[in-house]
Amino acid sequence: MATNRWLATGNFFSTYKEEQRIFLTNIDRLTIWSLIAALYAWPLIFQMSNKNMLVIDSILVAVVAVIGLNMVTGFAGLISIGHAAFVGVGAYTAALLAASWGESHAILTHAWPLVILFSGLVGAVIGGFVGLPAMRLKHLYLAIATLSFQMIFTWTINFMTLFNQGQTMPLPRVFWLTGKVVRKDHYFFWYFVILTVIVMSGFAVRNLMRTRYGRCLIAVRDNDRAADAMGMHPGFTKVYAFALAGFFAGMAGAMHAYLFRGAGIESFSLHQSISYLAMAIVGGLGTLSGSFFGPAAIQFLDLQVENLSAWAGTILGSSMNLATALRPLTFGLVIVLFLIFEPRGIANWWRITRSYFKLWPFRY
Amino acid sequence: MKKLTVTDVTLTFGGLNALTNVNMDIQPGLITSVIGPNGAGKTSMLNCMSGFYHPTTGELKYGDTRLTASSPHEITSLGIARAFQNIELFSGMNVLDNLMLARHRMLDYSFLDAFFYTKKASRVEAENRDYVEGVIDFMELEAYRKSTVGNLSYGVQKRVEVARALTLGPELILLDEPMAGMNIEEKEDMVRFIMDIKQERNTTVILVEHDLGVVMDISDQIYVLDFGELIGHGTPEEIAKNERVIEAYIGEE
Ligand SMILES: Nc1ncnc2c1ncn2[C@@H]1O[C@H](COP(=O)(O)OP(=O)(O)OP(=O)(O)O)[C@@H](O)[C@H]1O
Ligand SMILES: [Mg+2]
Repeated sequence: MATNRWLATGNFFSTYKEEQRIFLTNIDRLTIWSLIAALYAWPLIFQMSNKNMLVIDSILVAVVAVIGLNMVTGFAGLISIGHAAFVGVGAYTAALLAASWGESHAILTHAWPLVILFSGLVGAVIGGFVGLPAMRLKHLYLAIATLSFQMIFTWTINFMTLFNQGQTMPLPRVFWLTGKVVRKDHYFFWYFVILTVIVMSGFAVRNLMRTRYGRCLIAVRDNDRAADAMGMHPGFTKVYAFALAGFFAGMAGAMHAYLFRGAGIESFSLHQSISYLAMAIVGGLGTLSGSFFGPAAIQFLDLQVENLSAWAGTILGSSMNLATALRPLTFGLVIVLFLIFEPRGIANWWRITRSYFKLWPFRY
Repeated sequence: MKKLTVTDVTLTFGGLNALTNVNMDIQPGLITSVIGPNGAGKTSMLNCMSGFYHPTTGELKYGDTRLTASSPHEITSLGIARAFQNIELFSGMNVLDNLMLARHRMLDYSFLDAFFYTKKASRVEAENRDYVEGVIDFMELEAYRKSTVGNLSYGVQKRVEVARALTLGPELILLDEPMAGMNIEEKEDMVRFIMDIKQERNTTVILVEHDLGVVMDISDQIYVLDFGELIGHGTPEEIAKNERVIEAYIGEE
């Protein structure tokens, strides 16, 4: 039989290796690669203002952070309420390097990919360390341990002069092949950098999830007794999940710091940790595509609510204070609605659409 | 193959003895059944053997290795696998993934191999998939390969439980009531599988089972527990004649 790699229907595999593929059909491959190509191409075609580009860049940073959160909370099922602090670890790693070597040190301006990678590794180490209680604690108790890390982090930054007591610590502009990335191109440039990190992380996560290093996460989530009987150390596996989360968070943090040209505590607060959780839930816990949809959806919602509250403010006047209450209110509402009606998140809509096309030309 | 020995094991839960001074000698290559009324301590015994419980006093040994204080994953790596009485599968995953998870220890590639999905990772995964397919064949689960475990019937889930334990490639397998809740045909299949596990796969079997007909038919050795105490052991013929055992079983009814 001629091999058919275009349709999923009528497609039979003859080796196990064929089944390991990320893209089972050429259509899948074509869709994803064109999507990626489009993501790279559009800013070259449509001119965006710096302001809008910054919004998009922050969504992308959040995507990297949420990929990390999904490792620990989505795949391994361990609730982390301190994810922004891990992102902060990455940002402050880069900022501390700048503070100790001088802001314009060549490593920071030229070898910035290494700085991002290094911040990720520091994030992984701290993540693993903070995850140590997972050897013993479960569920709520573990969540509280992550919350205390968030608290300790905020306190440490706010009170130590080493960290400029939470005031912004500066980071330099970077150099690219074409020379220094100037103010006009800054957000444009970082768009491509962060997008590249996302694409690489996306493939890395897909790779991990089809090997023992990803399956073990799901195993401890679904049944850690059975995972133990299957020869996994449930405790180490959970610590490893935290380290993975810390790695992506650390990279996100370093990119955040470069993007905003500094690290300040307000971006890594408890509030931000909750936002990351909201993004992961709305996107779809334990899915890769959810890590893309979630941050975009929440950011979009945020902008809409901002407009809405400005409008409400003009009608009701400032006395009602409704405008300020509107934001947390809608935020909470959206999370609750998703948990009740679509706990699998936006990723599920994506899955349904895809499986419709997969079965084509059959209806079911 | 090694012998599993249980010496004077006592297991206490807040004053209640689930097991009292139990001694067992599990001969390699045979089917050893553990029977007894509900709450006799059969599952507790298996839990001690697989590291989920640690005896209050006494000792367990596999060959020369002490198991008494080991945790489940350590015991698994010694070649002792366990199928649970209450199904403990990864219910959100399909059958294939459940079994691939059991190959965890045998998948010999590094984190970076996995991260970049190198040739090595791909090759090792495919080899182990081959092994898993062997077990799927053996347990006749071909039809359910890609089905989500949670959606399968109880009988099939029990079969997947046993398959997953087999996928670990054990020398000794502990089966806790693998036939409970099955209809006649499913039971007959399971009996056939257990016989084959012993004969074709050269695996020692410890079987906990309530169906005395099955136990008498297939066991080489039987241990009888009642209220945590060992009240008899021997071949099926000896057990059938053992007065204390008859008393315990008739007394129950
Ligand atoms: N974790 C535990 N905590 C307290 N008591 C326990 C625990 N595990 C078992 N027991 C008690 O130990 C005794 C033996 O239980 P076990 O589950 O070993 O019986 P069993 O022979 O497997 O019974 P069944 O045939 O119903 O499966 C019971 O009285 C049970 O209540
Ligand atoms: Mg039992």
